[in-house]
Amino acid sequence: MTRSMSLTARLTALYTLVAVCVLAGMVAIVSTAVNRHFEELDDDTLLDKGQLIQDLLTKSDARVALRGRLDDALQSHPGLYVRIADADGAVWYASPSFRFPDCILNRSAAALSGNIFNWTADGKTYRALHTVATQRDAPDTAMRVWIAVNTVHHTHFTDSLHIALWVYAVLAALLSGGLGWFATRTGLAPLRAMRSRAQSVTAHRLSERMPAESVPVEMADLAASLNDMLARLQNDFQRLSDFSSDLAHELRTPISNLLTQTQVALSQTRDACFYRDILASNAEECQQLARMVSDMLLLAKAEHGLLLPNVERILLDEEVQALFDFYEALAEEKEIRLHRMGSAQLRGDRLMIRRAVSNLLSNALCHTPPQGVVTIRLAVKADTVTLTVANTGPGIDPAVLPRLFDRFFRADPSRPHADREGTGLGLAITRAIVQAHEGTVHVSSWTGETCFVMTFPRPPDESGD
Amino acid sequence: MKILIVEDEPKTGDYLQQGLREAGFSVSLATTGLDGVHLAIEGEHDLLILDVMLPGMNGWQVLKYLQDQNRKLPVLFLTARDSVEDRVKGLELGADDYLVKPFSFAELLARVRTILRRGPPATEATTIVVADLELDLLRRRVTRRGRRIALTAKEFGLLELLMRRQGEVLPRSLIASQVWDMNFDSDTNVVEVAMRRLRIKIDDHVEPRLIQTIRGMGYVLESRERRP
Repeated sequence: MTRSMSLTARLTALYTLVAVCVLAGMVAIVSTAVNRHFEELDDDTLLDKGQLIQDLLTKSDARVALRGRLDDALQSHPGLYVRIADADGAVWYASPSFRFPDCILNRSAAALSGNIFNWTADGKTYRALHTVATQRDAPDTAMRVWIAVNTVHHTHFTDSLHIALWVYAVLAALLSGGLGWFATRTGLAPLRAMRSRAQSVTAHRLSERMPAESVPVEMADLAASLNDMLARLQNDFQRLSDFSSDLAHELRTPISNLLTQTQVALSQTRDACFYRDILASNAEECQQLARMVSDMLLLAKAEHGLLLPNVERILLDEEVQALFDFYEALAEEKEIRLHRMGSAQLRGDRLMIRRAVSNLLSNALCHTPPQGVVTIRLAVKADTVTLTVANTGPGIDPAVLPRLFDRFFRADPSRPHADREGTGLGLAITRAIVQAHEGTVHVSSWTGETCFVMTFPRPPDESGD
Repeated sequence: MKILIVEDEPKTGDYLQQGLREAGFSVSLATTGLDGVHLAIEGEHDLLILDVMLPGMNGWQVLKYLQDQNRKLPVLFLTARDSVEDRVKGLELGADDYLVKPFSFAELLARVRTILRRGPPATEATTIVVADLELDLLRRRVTRRGRRIALTAKEFGLLELLMRRQGEVLPRSLIASQVWDMNFDSDTNVVEVAMRRLRIKIDDHVEPRLIQTIRGMGYVLESRERRP
């Protein structure tokens, strides 16, 4: 339940709860203080009257005179009742039309002595004092004096005070709740702004950003993180859609060749030789398509981290030598010298590493002018292993360097299939393979040389060599 | 040699059948796994070419069933799936080879011949002779019309492959894999270049030309000009 409750409702409930507690505390304190105050007033009255009666008893010599004096003294105090009896139980004085309950009269003097006590009868609460006094004429006889006040008007007052306080408390709690709700709503306005901004983000409007600068400090971090996420998404999405359109374009070319050639061939009766040519050309286009599809699959797998079927120790020297053997004929034909320096080991998938280096090597051979040199340098550093493929040549335009590893990127877009250049996925595959080995690949180029550097983490158990 | 193809895609099945027939095999075609099992048990086939994705009973189940029936038959899997798990599964079940679609027909043919050749161990010839070209495996010497031809180690390996499999069209990928152990498509025309250089040494100024390029398929070494 708490999960589905909105933040506003939750905070409003908390505000209200706090207000109720505070107000209830206040009501409790006020009513306790008022009650105590009234009790003190009553006690003062009782003690005062007790003193007065003692005085009268001391001064009065006759019972009749005493009654008259007491009547006079107590007349101005409605709700004050007095009973005076001697030790034998003979009543000297009793307020008219009032009777102390027997349970109080029967209690011994010692049990009541000096105490102020309450009792309730007929729905009225009385506060009473019992003292023992002496009469002038019979100083040896202890007179028992009961004095009681009716507290009904105090009770009336405290009752109405309680009602007023509780009404106030309820209203104040409701008001606090309302104010809390309002404050929360106002306070959370930036959150709603972010929500509505987030609702407006769609695949077509990934450029929307959270209002990071206008939200409170506490939410600025969140907004900034969300903005970073949106930026990454936008970037990835852009790459994905670029990639889709590149892919469609790349696939369209061979398919359109296939279709055109075949339809032209079919439009007339040709001789066998012509058909053979067309079929051979179609086969070449199909091979190109098949290669592109398997390269794409490889890249897709790389992105899902499925690229390393068997990891083993690889002697890079041997791999480079094998690749040199493979490319030897091509290099000789182009009058390019292949050269290897250093040695290193690596942990990884042999076929994949070979493929990654092969792509760099064929790329280098493709762009090295005659009489040039392609050098592969292997180096082991403190915690990395690097493989550098460097080739002499005019260098690469710095503007295209960052895009070199993009899929289907070709430095010269006008000639996509000149000289069987490949699918345009070679460097992308190299990067995917290197990344699958937790490495990085960088390219740097200046006049006279281009360097591709693959950096891998050094195998842990490899010692000094 | 009798080959059984189990393939549910009609076009693929027909072309495989036609291609293999023309390559000199006797071919039967089944379009479902169940038919395939029946044909495999009843007929005397030398090789089973098995598609993995089949209606009803898939290729793995067919293979499993045949093994349970103790029907020993070399199997070449054809599949559109190339994940390692699939490959391992196929090979663990006892398949002899594995080809991922799309494949070139020349590649399939080369692999079919490789599997069929495995059967009885070939007698280790020390020399291979095609027309007037002679390859001495022990002394690693090549002569044509008695004249010695100097080859690099890789050129020797390339020529040995072509001569051992004379008359077969060898696709570039197979050549790269067998000679240089490069088991992936290279971006470059390395095989063409190497082949061109070998051809200059073997065939230049000598008739008949032994090494033929079959455009769109690969290379073949044969003694007579069967193909234009």
